Amino acid sequence: MSKVSTKELIHTYVQLPSVYRENFEELRLQAKESLENTVFPTKKDEEWRFTDLKSITANKFESVKSGILQVSLELNKYHLPEAMNSRLVFINGNFSPIHSSVEGMPDGVIVSNLNNFSEHEQLRSHLGAITNYEDDVFVPLNDVNFQDGTFIYVPKQTFIEQPIHILNVFTDLENPYFVTPRVLFVGEMYSKATIIEEHIGLSNNVYLNIPVNEFRLYSGAHVHHARIQRDSKNASHISRPVAMLDAHAEYHSYTICLGAKLFRNEPRVIQNEEEVDFTVDGLVLIDGEQIADTHSVMDHRFSHGNSHQLHKVVVNDQAHSIFNGKIFVAKDAQKIDSFQENRNLLISDTGKVNTKPQLEIFADDVRCSHGATIGQLQDEEVFYLQSRGLTEQKSRELLVYAFALESVESMAVKSVEELLLKEVIAYTNRD
Amino acid sequence: MSEETKALESLIGEDYKYGFTTDVEYEDFPKGISKDIIRELSSRKDEPEWMLEFRLKSYHAWLEMEEPEWFNATYTKPDFENLLYYSAPKNRPSLDSLDDVDPNIRETYNKLGIPLEEQKMLAGVAVDAVFDSVSIFTSFKEKLAEAGVIFCSISEAIKEYPHLVKKYLGSVIPARDNYYAALNSAVFSDGSFCYIPKNTICPMELSTYFRINNMESGQFERTLIIAEEGASVSYLEGCTAPMYDENQLHAAVVELVAMDHAEIKYSTIQNWYSGDENGKGGIYNFVTKRGICKGNHSKISWTQLETGSAVTLKYPSVILQGDHSIGEFYSVAVTTKKQQADTGTKMIHLGKNTRSTIISKGISAGESNNSYRGEVKIGKKAIGSKNYSVCDSMLIGQTCGAHTFPYISSENASSSVEHEATTSRVGEEQIFYLMQRGISEQNAISMIINGFVKDVLKELPLEFAVEANKLLDVKLEGSVG
Repeated sequence: MSKVSTKELIHTYVQLPSVYRENFEELRLQAKESLENTVFPTKKDEEWRFTDLKSITANKFESVKSGILQVSLELNKYHLPEAMNSRLVFINGNFSPIHSSVEGMPDGVIVSNLNNFSEHEQLRSHLGAITNYEDDVFVPLNDVNFQDGTFIYVPKQTFIEQPIHILNVFTDLENPYFVTPRVLFVGEMYSKATIIEEHIGLSNNVYLNIPVNEFRLYSGAHVHHARIQRDSKNASHISRPVAMLDAHAEYHSYTICLGAKLFRNEPRVIQNEEEVDFTVDGLVLIDGEQIADTHSVMDHRFSHGNSHQLHKVVVNDQAHSIFNGKIFVAKDAQKIDSFQENRNLLISDTGKVNTKPQLEIFADDVRCSHGATIGQLQDEEVFYLQSRGLTEQKSRELLVYAFALESVESMAVKSVEELLLKEVIAYTNRD
Repeated sequence: MSEETKALESLIGEDYKYGFTTDVEYEDFPKGISKDIIRELSSRKDEPEWMLEFRLKSYHAWLEMEEPEWFNATYTKPDFENLLYYSAPKNRPSLDSLDDVDPNIRETYNKLGIPLEEQKMLAGVAVDAVFDSVSIFTSFKEKLAEAGVIFCSISEAIKEYPHLVKKYLGSVIPARDNYYAALNSAVFSDGSFCYIPKNTICPMELSTYFRINNMESGQFERTLIIAEEGASVSYLEGCTAPMYDENQLHAAVVELVAMDHAEIKYSTIQNWYSGDENGKGGIYNFVTKRGICKGNHSKISWTQLETGSAVTLKYPSVILQGDHSIGEFYSVAVTTKKQQADTGTKMIHLGKNTRSTIISKGISAGESNNSYRGEVKIGKKAIGSKNYSVCDSMLIGQTCGAHTFPYISSENASSSVEHEATTSRVGEEQIFYLMQRGISEQNAISMIINGFVKDVLKELPLEFAVEANKLLDVKLEGSVG
């Protein structure tokens, strides 16, 4: 495997306009240094041993020049009716004020692009504070290169009624390019918000999407976070969403993977105080030559935590799904109830599934369990539907649809649920 | 903790020196490893030329390999230059009667229910005429020979049955397989060879035989078992009695070959010295064990009870090559004090309609770390295959750790894999319920633990299952509650 374009990506720092470079200079310099000391992963690394990174390493990605905005771009069809006045739109990683709309937020709430608040105390103290992935090149790549991003700040005891829609769209550019979307969310005590984060490829173009999300939830904060990945089928998407929870905080995240040639998602939820509750669910529907890889970490560092993970996967054609879910329970983190389930439906003979649920437990009074299955549709079920008059093909489609449905129903926003149902039907219908 | 428990604890954990540490007389043989050493070793064992070649080839492979570090364990790496790769048969000084044996040791033996005569053998007491091991040995041998079963030391087999050894040695675990297998292939001392001819059911559990005759297995043990078409055999290695050995590194290799409709059941009870309270000393148990279900409808089953050793790295595996073949793995791993165990299995499904079952129970206490690491792989051509795995861990105390690393992969749509794992503790309600019925806390816990591991222990040959239960009790005594 050729040694990779990381170096070229690194040097884009110098190309960043000084106005961006000077913002968060310390973070960027630190990241630059760590990039110089880490090598781009290969299959020889345990964490990457099943993941084929060819779709990244075979390309050279350019950074996207800021300031060139496609004003004419028609994005109405991607709008969510519930979030007409709480929408931030990023085109190829650049904030697009004309497509965005934020109105009628409660007092003190900030829903904005990062650059607008680059001097904000909360932003400065939180950005980059919890994203310490070990030996990682992708967070530093984002740190060095992000030009803008999303900043959401919810003050004490404030509820944001409408969901906040973060829409990342990717257009067709001449050469392969890379983008580094960034989200920083700070929820103060007993605040509540719903975030819909969406990535959409507008054509079949080649790009590398490296989003980094930081969700800092203080005591009692409550967040529902849906992530919908509909990238171009030629794109690569490496994501790093991290959440850190204080006492009584609740964080429920649902990642839906539909697009991208290579999708690697590394969600991490860190329990920072006692008594938290979180969910790290996922639904992966892949076909063709797609690779979808989820490496999640549920990190219980203190006592009394509840966590739940349901990761459902359907693999068709030559697609390849990888799952590695880690549950950590630190020493003295007693009374943890953690459950992880990975269910894989392999419906083609050429598809491939690798799964590795992993428990690392250092406290004795806990209940942690995981289950993983790889299987196909049951003949009895198919027969049952056929005996009711469905064709075999339709019976199978219906069963796959039913399998995927459970994950879709967890969506808090109606229009998102409908949108996903359509996607599921489009996936299952093979006529 | 009662006085008795204390005595036992120290005994199980530490004081094996009575009766075991002996003035071993080594022949004059240099330390370290080199081509010349291997030549010397081979010639002293009077081996044929091809065997020497096998060893030298393995040695070269070993030199090119790197010592693996991916285990979930930390330890000081062995100094290979400081090891002695050949030792002549050792002379144990004989004690006159069991009364000379340390009373603590005898107590353990009694607790484990080891028959009196065997106690003597274990403690190195001269065996009296009534229980003459040689005569038993001979009668066993006759019985086996009648059935056509070959069962002898591997050194003997190399001389007597070279065509069989040549054909199968290294066929399941090639010398290049891993670092420790390569080392073993280069310098293995001795071990057992077992060949069951076609359509033969081995007339006895080879365990019984083994227990009496294979006390000195050496540190680089090599075992090869071949079951021809329609043959079946059950084999048990190890012993519940605490074993002390002055060799710190144990790198054994076990290869099993099962032809059409053949069945091999391999059980292990391992209770090597596990080091003192601070984790000092103790055996490194780095074993490579693998079986191949070569024929259709063949079956290989591994059962293990791992309670000893300071560090255990061991993954008995089955390659399911024949159609309709079956692989099984039943394991109980217990770690206390500062023990570290990283153990599990691999089930590689290649043939059609192959089945595998994995049941692994880990119990960690003290400051120990217990990991299950397993792989289930279903190949493209292994259509209609099924795997079922359960790995449960139990934690006792707040300073130990339990880990699970199952790798699961499937490449065809007609197979199914199910894996589940749980980690929990002995439930307070369960203890309370039993105590309410007049059972002491210690006994209640022991009942619960026995229930936890029952699925595995029932796979052991009967007489060992009873001992194994007792061994668990002794091992965990004092660490619960």
